[in-house]
Amino acid sequence: MTRIEKHPVLEVPQGQKEVEFTFDGQKMTGYEGEAVSSALFANGIRRFSLHRNGKAPQGIFCANGQCSQCTVIIDGLPQKSCITPLKAGMKIETLNGVPKLAEDDRPVEHTERRNESCDVLVVGGGPSGLNATIELAQLGFNVILVDDKAKLGGKLLLQTHKFFGSEEDCFAGTRGVDIAHILEEKVRSFKNVKIYTETSVIGVFKDKKAGLFVKNKNYVVVDFKGLILSSGAREKSVLFKGNDLPGVYGAGAFQTLVNRDLVKAAKKILIIGSGNVGLIGAYHALQAGIEVAAIVEIAPKINGYKVHADKIRRMGVPIYLSTTVISAEGDGKVERVTVAEVDEKWNPILETARTYEVDTLLVAVGLSSADELFTLADQYKFNVMKTGDCDEIAEASSAMFGGKITGRKMAAALGKSDAAIDESWLKKATVLKSRPGNTKEPEKPVITAKFQPKFSCLQEIPCNPCTTVCAKKAIKLKGGTGTIMDTPYFDGECIGCGMCVAACPGLAIALAKKVDDTKAEIVLPYEFNCDFKEGDKLPLTDIDGIFLEEGTVIKTAYNKKYKTTLVTLSVTAANVADIAGIRYQSEEITKPCPLPDFTYAPENSIVCRCEHVNVKQIVDFIKENKVRDVNQLKQIRVGMGACGSKTCSVLMPMIFRMAGVDWAEVTPGRKRPLTVETPMYAIVNEEEN
Amino acid sequence: MKSYDILIIGAGSIGTPLAYNLAKKGKKVCVIEMNASTGRGQNRAAIGGLRATFSDPAKIKICAVSINEISHMKENHGIDVDWVEGGYIYPIFEEQTEKNLKELLKLQKSMGLNIDWVPADEIKERVPGIRPEGLRGGTFSPNDGSASPLKTTGAFYKLARECGAEFNFHEKVVSMEVKGGKIVSVKTDKDTYCADLIINAAGPFSREIGAMCGVDIPVYPDCHEGGITEPVEYFLRPMVVDIRPDAISLNYYFYQNYEGQFVFCITPKPSIKGTDIDNTSNFMPQVVGRMLSLYPRLRNIRIRRTWRGLYPMTPDGFPIVGKTKEVENMFLATGMCGQGYMIGSGLGKILSEIIVDNSHEYDFILDQLTLYRDFSGDEMLK
Repeated sequence: MTRIEKHPVLEVPQGQKEVEFTFDGQKMTGYEGEAVSSALFANGIRRFSLHRNGKAPQGIFCANGQCSQCTVIIDGLPQKSCITPLKAGMKIETLNGVPKLAEDDRPVEHTERRNESCDVLVVGGGPSGLNATIELAQLGFNVILVDDKAKLGGKLLLQTHKFFGSEEDCFAGTRGVDIAHILEEKVRSFKNVKIYTETSVIGVFKDKKAGLFVKNKNYVVVDFKGLILSSGAREKSVLFKGNDLPGVYGAGAFQTLVNRDLVKAAKKILIIGSGNVGLIGAYHALQAGIEVAAIVEIAPKINGYKVHADKIRRMGVPIYLSTTVISAEGDGKVERVTVAEVDEKWNPILETARTYEVDTLLVAVGLSSADELFTLADQYKFNVMKTGDCDEIAEASSAMFGGKITGRKMAAALGKSDAAIDESWLKKATVLKSRPGNTKEPEKPVITAKFQPKFSCLQEIPCNPCTTVCAKKAIKLKGGTGTIMDTPYFDGECIGCGMCVAACPGLAIALAKKVDDTKAEIVLPYEFNCDFKEGDKLPLTDIDGIFLEEGTVIKTAYNKKYKTTLVTLSVTAANVADIAGIRYQSEEITKPCPLPDFTYAPENSIVCRCEHVNVKQIVDFIKENKVRDVNQLKQIRVGMGACGSKTCSVLMPMIFRMAGVDWAEVTPGRKRPLTVETPMYAIVNEEEN
Repeated sequence: MKSYDILIIGAGSIGTPLAYNLAKKGKKVCVIEMNASTGRGQNRAAIGGLRATFSDPAKIKICAVSINEISHMKENHGIDVDWVEGGYIYPIFEEQTEKNLKELLKLQKSMGLNIDWVPADEIKERVPGIRPEGLRGGTFSPNDGSASPLKTTGAFYKLARECGAEFNFHEKVVSMEVKGGKIVSVKTDKDTYCADLIINAAGPFSREIGAMCGVDIPVYPDCHEGGITEPVEYFLRPMVVDIRPDAISLNYYFYQNYEGQFVFCITPKPSIKGTDIDNTSNFMPQVVGRMLSLYPRLRNIRIRRTWRGLYPMTPDGFPIVGKTKEVENMFLATGMCGQGYMIGSGLGKILSEIIVDNSHEYDFILDQLTLYRDFSGDEMLK
């Protein structure tokens, strides 16, 4: 099994119950209760199904209950493996084409309609949903909180990095996993909150009810006075040949496998997309002992926080701008990925193609709000609100704030007149979801004989833990915004405690001092498994990851709160002002194959993953039939699959453009319930509990 | 003002094949449709059943032509519309219903329909896993079947355009000008048209269209919900129709389509009037409970999507087809009572022969389906 045995941040749980199961007749073991998809991955399985259309091998894509590409046959029934907990003795099989329906002709002995009611139904127990629930519960409302995973916390559970934002408002500097536990405990402490985990809301209905598909077994119809959608977001798909090969999957899926379920999901990955999700994906990979060949970004600039990107570069992961993936190839799974630079119109320049031998390609080209239920409920004129990523894609810190505000807003909408929203909350919520602002020119710090902090934090982002952890309050922010977007500077006394170094989510603070004219010392953060001894040589880089010199370890100190090691090194006085980080990954790992090895066929990219329809088929159909209504693409099955066009709909503007049609002329596809396929036995509650 | 030989209002199950057939016969045809594309009214909600086994001469004839058109679409035009000749089965559990149906069979057979009573064992064989308790047998009509409404309408749209028919989408008829018993212009929210003949194929909205030129068309929509499952390996060929009513519903029916997906629908009792097509929470528990009691094998299949569509109902359950007396150049092809898809392909062909070739072969259809009948009859197998 390929499990992560040791992790610098995550505690590897001990004493989990190992259970046996079979996959296509082969005996395997996994942990009871973990997602079946993760158990299969841990056993080296990448191919989950053969598509009925052409028998193309399929693996996971979202691992988040959204796309249904991870469907396998479990005990005779097709199931999404990413939301099905593993049980002892499960008989799991590859889904080969269309499943055969079990000939179970026993009469139905028991049917039942289950109904519940509440004041507010909250859909999604991530950062925003948990906070909205807490606010409502504190104000005395009866809340039903629904989440499709086994554990509350949503994406917080996948986030091993320290949070940006401000400490007093959103736990900045604390890691997502820890925040999830704090919030879950709080939510569970309320008697007026009923929690449904492993439960999907499959539809909202005109008669002001919602349908809950509970634990793969039951169906509960809930009526509510208010509805909050905190259902998060889903990974956007991207087009290149081989984009459906097993091994091409979302960065969120990767985080789920690696951080939540501690599966060493890959040996070596390449990442497409330089947003914060892609950048963090690289960091999470390195922490899990997975190599990262590169991050490629089609735009000419980094899409995420600069401080994140710089950190990743310093760790030894190159980021190539104006570069995209043109092909993923291999025998039934990803074995190599080819990238190429693009021209100003984002067309690939094939002469620049480089092939990397990797087993996994992470798709991190952005997220789209999972807001179908909001749209529907809004059409029905329900008292409905959306929050978190479901409302607007932003950092979890902002989502937590947004959740609180939405909770209060809903309370007010339901007649709670004293549920006022502090003006300052609104301001903070806005700041916390700000896109990065200006980037200042680096200034060479003056290094003195006494330790003081130096910052590799040049871009305005909403973040300030360094200011709050400083014992002497000597780290301050300055800049044009007057908010936590401003960048830090040092002014005052430094006692050399290193708290700022440990707390900084961007690993962008070091302590430095001059020893004499030639020698200096620097304290750098290190967030990997660390067994450095005095005298060890470590490669050190500047802010952008350019190698400067080898430093010599003097000592290490582990900061338990921030799970970060502070490494004190002896360096040259000449470089000390420029040294910003410790390289983790060797350059060798990031080298492409000597020669590019690919075939270029972008028209074969899969658009509709469920029904396996490619670019060429759709573009031809649009041209031949003068299509101006996405709904007509259903004639060639686009959007007719299990996911209900959740994944392909975001690609439609691009596809119509390829067919020479202005998207403004096109009517988008109509999305309908159910959001998740639901077996008939559950609808009638055939099994009583 | 734009001028055409024929203006069709509605590009749905009826208007689209009609446009093709008329254009093929050389008419300059324009279709006005308020939705974004063809079939986006009720055609998109049709479940795809096609049968000719009715009890009246008009629908028997029209639907026989429909089945012929659709089953030969691939052969004649190279377009696959997922036709499956799976037949229709009505499993019967009550003595009285058996008697009634056997009476009806005599009539149906005398009209040349391939339908007969089959014993319970044959039903069990054709519907493997059906609960046998109380099953007396049922009717089976092997030449009926199913196809994709979406693909069929898409095919006719393509064929119609190839023959020169024009389609204007996102356009709504707002008024008509009548002079001397004739519609002289049709105004939409975008343009004004005139035509020798204006065909009202507006389904649930045809009464509003009629009112614009002083014709009262008794079409009142009610709504039905339908659903579709994931695909599974093919094992059920016929459409199964259970006509037993219960406290909150009349019949329900289901079949496995060409893709292997089960499509199902139920008739609510009492009927839900109006044009609301939003999903309700009642539908799934209601229909699933009934389906599983008859056919528990479906317990493990997963429902993928549900939707709601309108039945443009007439007082007697039969369509309204033919010229109006109030204005000489309006022709009605509406009130299909939820059977627009099975009627449309055949009706388009037949009406083109009536309108363009002045054929009198189908006078019995026009006589039976005239607007000026007394609407006192009742369709036995709605």
